[in-house]
Amino acid sequence: MAPDPAMPAQIVCTGLGKTFGGGTEAVQALDLTLAAGQTTALVGPSGCGKSTLLRMIAGLEEPSFGTVTIGGAPPSETLRHAGLSVAFQDPSLLPWRSVRGNIELALRLARRPVDVAAVEALIALVGLDGFGDTKPAELSGGMRQRAAIARALATKPGLLLLDEPFGAVDELTRQQLAQDLPRIWEAQRTTTVLVTHSVSEAVLLSDRVIVLSPRPAQIVADIDIPLPRPRSPDMVRSDAGAGHIDAVFAALSESRAGSPPPMAAQ
Amino acid sequence: MTVTTAPARPAILQKPVSFAPWISTAILLALWELAGRQLSGTFVLASPSEVLRYLAEEWRMMARALAVTLGNAALGFVFGNLAAIALATLASVWPRTERVVAGLALLVFCLPLVATGPILRVLFGPGDGPQIVLAALAVYYTTLIPLLVGLRAAPATWFDLVRSYGRGRVSALVHVRAMAALPYLFTGLQIAAPAAFLGAMVGEFTGAERGMGVLTVRAIRALDVEMTWALATVATGVAILAYAVIGALARRVLKAPPPVILAAPAPAGARSSALQTGAIVTVLALLAWWGAIRVFDLNPFFAKGPGDVFAALILADDAAETRATLAGALGETLVFLLPGYIAGLLAGAGLAMLLVLMPILAGTAMPLAIALRSVPIVTTAPLVVLLLGRGATGTIVLVAVMVFFPTFVACLHGLRQAPGQIMDVLDSYAAGPVTRLIRVRIPAMLPAFFAAARMAVPASVLAVTVVEWLATGAGVGSLMALSASLSDYDMLWSAVVLVSALSALGYAAVGAVERRILTLYAPEQVA
Amino acid sequence: MQKTMNRRALIGGGAAAAGTLALGLAPRRLFAQTPVTLQLSWLHSAQFAGSYIAQDRGWWIEEGLEVALSQGGPNAPVEPPVVSGTALVGISAADYTAAAVEEGAPFKILGVAMQKNPFVIASLPDNPVNEPTDLVGKRIGMALANTPVLQALCALNDVDIDGIEIVPTQYSAQPLIAGEVDCLLCWETDLPVAMAMQGIDSVTMLMADFGYAVHSQTYIATEDSLANRRADLVALMRGEVRGWDAYREDTDAAAELTLQMYPDAGLDLETQKLQAARQVPLMFSELTDANGFGWWTEETVAANIETLGLLGRDVTPDLWDRSILEEVHGT
Repeated sequence: MAPDPAMPAQIVCTGLGKTFGGGTEAVQALDLTLAAGQTTALVGPSGCGKSTLLRMIAGLEEPSFGTVTIGGAPPSETLRHAGLSVAFQDPSLLPWRSVRGNIELALRLARRPVDVAAVEALIALVGLDGFGDTKPAELSGGMRQRAAIARALATKPGLLLLDEPFGAVDELTRQQLAQDLPRIWEAQRTTTVLVTHSVSEAVLLSDRVIVLSPRPAQIVADIDIPLPRPRSPDMVRSDAGAGHIDAVFAALSESRAGSPPPMAAQ
Repeated sequence: MTVTTAPARPAILQKPVSFAPWISTAILLALWELAGRQLSGTFVLASPSEVLRYLAEEWRMMARALAVTLGNAALGFVFGNLAAIALATLASVWPRTERVVAGLALLVFCLPLVATGPILRVLFGPGDGPQIVLAALAVYYTTLIPLLVGLRAAPATWFDLVRSYGRGRVSALVHVRAMAALPYLFTGLQIAAPAAFLGAMVGEFTGAERGMGVLTVRAIRALDVEMTWALATVATGVAILAYAVIGALARRVLKAPPPVILAAPAPAGARSSALQTGAIVTVLALLAWWGAIRVFDLNPFFAKGPGDVFAALILADDAAETRATLAGALGETLVFLLPGYIAGLLAGAGLAMLLVLMPILAGTAMPLAIALRSVPIVTTAPLVVLLLGRGATGTIVLVAVMVFFPTFVACLHGLRQAPGQIMDVLDSYAAGPVTRLIRVRIPAMLPAFFAAARMAVPASVLAVTVVEWLATGAGVGSLMALSASLSDYDMLWSAVVLVSALSALGYAAVGAVERRILTLYAPEQVA
Repeated sequence: MQKTMNRRALIGGGAAAAGTLALGLAPRRLFAQTPVTLQLSWLHSAQFAGSYIAQDRGWWIEEGLEVALSQGGPNAPVEPPVVSGTALVGISAADYTAAAVEEGAPFKILGVAMQKNPFVIASLPDNPVNEPTDLVGKRIGMALANTPVLQALCALNDVDIDGIEIVPTQYSAQPLIAGEVDCLLCWETDLPVAMAMQGIDSVTMLMADFGYAVHSQTYIATEDSLANRRADLVALMRGEVRGWDAYREDTDAAAELTLQMYPDAGLDLETQKLQAARQVPLMFSELTDANGFGWWTEETVAANIETLGLLGRDVTPDLWDRSILEEVHGT
């Protein structure tokens, strides 16, 4: 019955809620279904509970209410088979390991064979050619985040969870990554969940954008982005793209203005 | 909890070759030589030249004694640190045990050497057993505490990372905690090396055939001032060397200086859980005590169990008398202990602050203080008493010295932890050095100060009991030695229980003061 | 590991002892040597040189014993190893033995090496203490723990102890030399010897000459050993008696042997020679000349009981058991 860890899987959140010890409600009664192989962006104001939602999907945080299933099974099943990868806000590279060492550690933790050529290809993909033996302390913030993304991709997970992974990446590299990453996801048919502050990034990368309300996080808007792939920044700047961006912005400002409006589908 | 990591600041640790320490050492030696010549004929002080002459004549015997003591100290060092690593690993893989492990470890660490020595001798019989065990006991706690901190000294996301690949605590221990703890392990080992030597020396007082401790006893009795000072010099040299070698090893392995922090802030917990831990620790300690006597089949003449002590203190006809004797002795001890402890803390923190205002001096004083904190007390105790007399001054000074050095080192380190950005902000307001000290540096220093203050509790108790035993013949240290020689083992065990329990409570009390003050001045450190 | 090894050695020793017992008086030399431990009361020095002679000349081997001389130290009480059986015999003193017996240790005194207690009042020649009345008005340096000793001396000689100023000092001659005190309570054989070696003359008043009768360097064993290991005890004491008789003949040689056997003890030959010579008058007397080393009589025991009473120790004559010594000396 074990799901294939490399297979993309549908994610279903039902009545999902999280209340922390101090009584803070981070997420409230959230129902959400993410289709297998799709890329979904979670956007919302700072501190709205996006990261908490992501961590519950990853199985790193126990929900207070409701359930999360990945391919019909609880996240712990996926974890057990190392079927997902998380790229954290903080790159979380182990400082005593080189870039290559950090990537290989992920493979070892996931009990996957270490394919040297594949690791080198990943390093090249994130633009860290020649930095394989470098320790994280000697890299810039953006380079560290790219190394973390390479690590997250290394295990070819069926589910990829990215928590603001481009925060410290410079604009040019970010665009380059935004073009390269979806290709990998498509090739691997990875289900991807992306938490981001950047509306344009959300539109550029995702098939769907979920706008969340301020804490406790509730769904304010669920916007499909039916732009063709491969996408480019130009497409986002086109009329169609700009329309999506406007829609997301509108939902965001609405959510900030007051009580969560009824689910508005674009 | 905020973890104090090694900043890039303390340049003296990164560049061990600096002239300042050599200059200060030279000045110290010159002063010593002068004093030695002034005091010649008073049988108090031998000058460096006399010490050298003695060593030139007797180096073979000294080398043999050193080899024996070093050998035992090394074995104790290995066993003690392995025990610390095992306990820390247990606490890390099974976090629920951490508080109990730390509590039991503290209690064992607080057992007074004066009393454990003879008990170990009986357990082991002739040979090196007690020396090795006392050396191990002297080191395991100072390694365990930084290690417990170090095993947690990693951002939460590193552990999330391990979990996100479906792996558990053991993987986290192997891949994250072990390496993250390495700098802390080295800090512990660095303090442990001189401590192991001290433990082995005290172990030799229990009837060892040879070694530095045996020679020390002999030298003091024989009024052999040259020998006494030569022994103290060699022991000090070895202690400093051991400290330096491990420091160098750490720099080589870590490529960065080990953190100087001594202990983490006590984990803030609800009062009830602290009481609960205390109760569990007490019950386990009593069980272990009772069990050990049965397992080793110890003779009830000298092996008194919890019941015997309870009877001696509460039930026996002369219980009131026993309690009065103990209370009297403890009172005598406290009169020396408290002023010495407080003076040592104030002097350590005060001098550290002064040196921050005068940074040129810091480069000289820091390495010297780091070195001097490793001088073994059994050799200094008789010397300080020789120099300052057997009155209150000598004992108080000795306790203060034991407290001073670790406090000074920790505080100076803490003062330098002040976040650079905040200092920059103050700079932009043209704040003077004193304002910066009060507003930023002192709050940044507090955690290190309290860590030192807590570790200083058992250290000062060790100092005061050793001085009382070897030199002044007063207080609870002397009472324990006397009880052993008069076969009053009820009294001895009662004293051991009281001294250990009071030390552990003192440690906890400092932790409570720490939490209160940190909540006021540095709340981020408690969170 | 240490522990199990000792256990094994002990079990082995017990088995060997049982073997000899079973065979009664069968010639011991045919069997493996019985290992026994003699627990000394202090660090190795000429203080125990008689034992070293017995060891060196193989007199215990002749008796079928393999004796380990276990040294004491500042933190090594003698009584526990004897009670627990780690040591067959220990070197104690009547007052310490009495204290241990009060606490339930089943000890008997088998022999008395120091007929006269070695406690002295040491002073400097220009301000001497020659007799107890000289103590009045003086500052005496001593461990507070020894206050009962001074009290006993005062009581025995009708001296008012309140007239003496007690200064607590560590056990060192330094306070006397520095003039912090006028006299010291110490042993005849240690601090005065140390001062003499530094070229400082001192006057010593032996407390035993003024009624302070406490047997010192006494051989103690448990009642159990007395009942079950008599042959070993006799053999051990026989070696001791021979060793100490030889010691008396040439104390210099005894001191030299001490250094030779314990080169790592940090001992100085001249100091050891002086110490060895100075302890002879304490160990040998008309009584021992007449009856042999280690002897005592009902009278000396009675005097001990009186002094011990002043020290707060209530003992009876049956603390002393002369049967082993009688067998050794063939009386």
